[in-house]
Amino acid sequence: MDLSTVKERAGPRQFGPTDDMPREYREAATRMIQFHANSEIMGAYIERPFVRQAPSLDRKLAVSAQVQDEIGHGQLLYRAAENLGIKTREEMLDELAAGEGKFLNCFHYPLGNWYELPMIMFFVDGAAMRRQATLKRTSWEPYAHAIDKICFEEGFHIKHGEDILRELATGSRRDQELLQRAFEKWWPRILQFFGPTDDQSTHDDFSQEVGLKTMSNDDLRNAFLNAYLPKAEKYGLEPPEYPRVEYHEDRDHYEVYEEDLDWDEFFTVARNELPTGRGQIDKRRRSQDAVAWVREAIETTPASGDTPAAAD
Amino acid sequence: MIFEVFRQETESDYHEHVGNVHAPDEEMARLFAQVMHARRKPANSLWVVPKEEISEVDADDPGVAMGGTTQKAYRWATNYSTGRMAEEIEASEAEQVEAEARRRSTRSEGGDD
Amino acid sequence: MATEDTDTGPWSDRGFALGGPDELSEREQAAVEACLRALADDEFVLAERYTEWQVRGPTLEGDLAVANIAQDELGHARLWYDLLEDFGHTEPELIWERPPEDFRHATLVERPFARGDWADAVVRGFLYDEFERLRLDALADTEYPRIADRVGKVQGEEHYHREHARNWLERLAEGRGDPDNGHRRVQEAIDRLFPHALTLFVPTAYEPDIVEFGVRPAPLSELRQAWLDEVVPVLEDFGFRLPVAADAHPEAVDTLLPTARGRDGEHTDAWADLHDEFTFTYRQLDRSEAPRLMVDPDDADEGGDHP
Repeated sequence: MDLSTVKERAGPRQFGPTDDMPREYREAATRMIQFHANSEIMGAYIERPFVRQAPSLDRKLAVSAQVQDEIGHGQLLYRAAENLGIKTREEMLDELAAGEGKFLNCFHYPLGNWYELPMIMFFVDGAAMRRQATLKRTSWEPYAHAIDKICFEEGFHIKHGEDILRELATGSRRDQELLQRAFEKWWPRILQFFGPTDDQSTHDDFSQEVGLKTMSNDDLRNAFLNAYLPKAEKYGLEPPEYPRVEYHEDRDHYEVYEEDLDWDEFFTVARNELPTGRGQIDKRRRSQDAVAWVREAIETTPASGDTPAAAD
Repeated sequence: MIFEVFRQETESDYHEHVGNVHAPDEEMARLFAQVMHARRKPANSLWVVPKEEISEVDADDPGVAMGGTTQKAYRWATNYSTGRMAEEIEASEAEQVEAEARRRSTRSEGGDD
Repeated sequence: MATEDTDTGPWSDRGFALGGPDELSEREQAAVEACLRALADDEFVLAERYTEWQVRGPTLEGDLAVANIAQDELGHARLWYDLLEDFGHTEPELIWERPPEDFRHATLVERPFARGDWADAVVRGFLYDEFERLRLDALADTEYPRIADRVGKVQGEEHYHREHARNWLERLAEGRGDPDNGHRRVQEAIDRLFPHALTLFVPTAYEPDIVEFGVRPAPLSELRQAWLDEVVPVLEDFGFRLPVAADAHPEAVDTLLPTARGRDGEHTDAWADLHDEFTFTYRQLDRSEAPRLMVDPDDADEGGDHP
């Protein structure tokens, strides 16, 4: 299929593994899905300390299940990417370990304490959910297929995140102060979740033309703010004065003042060069390397005698 | 090895493809498939099939005219309009409530879980 | 009189020598509590260690599976702690505010994992799950109705755990890839963990009462022999060396026990650190209660956990 046919036919779940897709499409889809899959893994990675640190049995169960789901989402997404024929799952996981795999900005910062957890579990996961809901209509069918299951599971994550937020927001004065502090720390990163407002992303237009993306970053950010700013206010959280966010009622639009955000840091993050993000990547790589021997042990064909598992 | 996984929700349902698992052999694939694909949604049975054992006839293959397209029908609605507050969260929740209700009714009917 | 009954339905088809939580004598209650503490603490601490493999598992699928097992074990701990709450204890008293030396789990479950030592997780799972099956089988004959009510639920999930452990054990033992890796690492894990596994069977001062009142009618000494008969031949068949023969004299087996035995409150060094970590947020939040997200097990439907 040539590129103009792709653009013409682009629509929800339009293309699958049996379609002969042009390389540009397969590369763009791989880049997008691999980014998404990597983000699931690295998101799980920053949440994982709170399985141990959860302050009740039920919370521990829920955080463990959330981290597990994220790994499951990674599994589903790598499959959707693998089907494009550009990279295998092993290659993508190796790239992530080597610091070459890209992932969401927020997951480059470690979570300091329990008060910061809902910043990820509620706001960041909520933002991710906002984006994912629109990807049910992506043109690469295996991607949409994975998104179906992800959205099915993810709702519980955000609800649990909100439950933690509610508990802290209605707790002691000290709880409220520490929660507000966590919010102020994370808010600029959350605003940057959807990238720069004037779309400096070079891949963006193409992705929309071929139906991989169905909504611009700008519209996604706006929809997110529409849904989640009132939630923040409901729990008594006040957005810091800077970065400025102004609501324009006439256009039903939130204006985020670009110049108030640290884009140097954002692009440092995007290059995997932020020291904290680098630390996360390296720590994860070390734990991956440490179990390489297991993968070897189960994946190498027996040296002698034994019949390989595949039937004849 | 890659194994493709097909999940059957209740005895009266068809098995539907839900994804894959990477595993060293069939036995481990069956163990992994239970967690990967049947931990949140109800399952009466799973088929776990070596990927390379699957041969496919495609509607677009030369000489094939099955009258179908490559698109499939999916269980969950996809019309997510924007604007309302965190609608996608409510939708996800509704799906889970429905799946839970099905799981329960399957249990009480089935008896032999 | 006690029949194999894994049905969670009414107890009426079976008589029980012990009554409900309010009807026990002081001695009976102490025996029930001691039995439950070992059960609950074993499952809780083992799960705590298993969760260390989340996002660190050997493959994505292996990661999901071990996370699932951890959640199963935590769920079991939750069921057993809930029965201790019958006696007026709260979750904070039972876990979050409890001093480390009051925990009664075996030392096997508290040992730390060395980075990447999946063989340790596999061997630990194997040794523990075979014990767990025997203990649950014994508890199926309990005279305490509240335990009888829950044994079946727990047994239902243990089958997967045993399959999981045995399958991994087999694959690592086969020594595919570099044989030095799988086989050697499993052997090292056996050498290291076997003495700690024996602490699972160390009786407390309450053991005679636990058996006499039928809280767990089979004594731990009997369970240990059954366990040795099961695990020793399996491991030997894979070509592993064990520090003891299945039919060794009990006194010879006793000599292998480590100094700290867990059940009496004495633990290995690793336990203090682990305890410190999992109580961290609870202390930081300065809480006096632990939030519940799910309905009480008594109010949950069969297998249901949604409010």
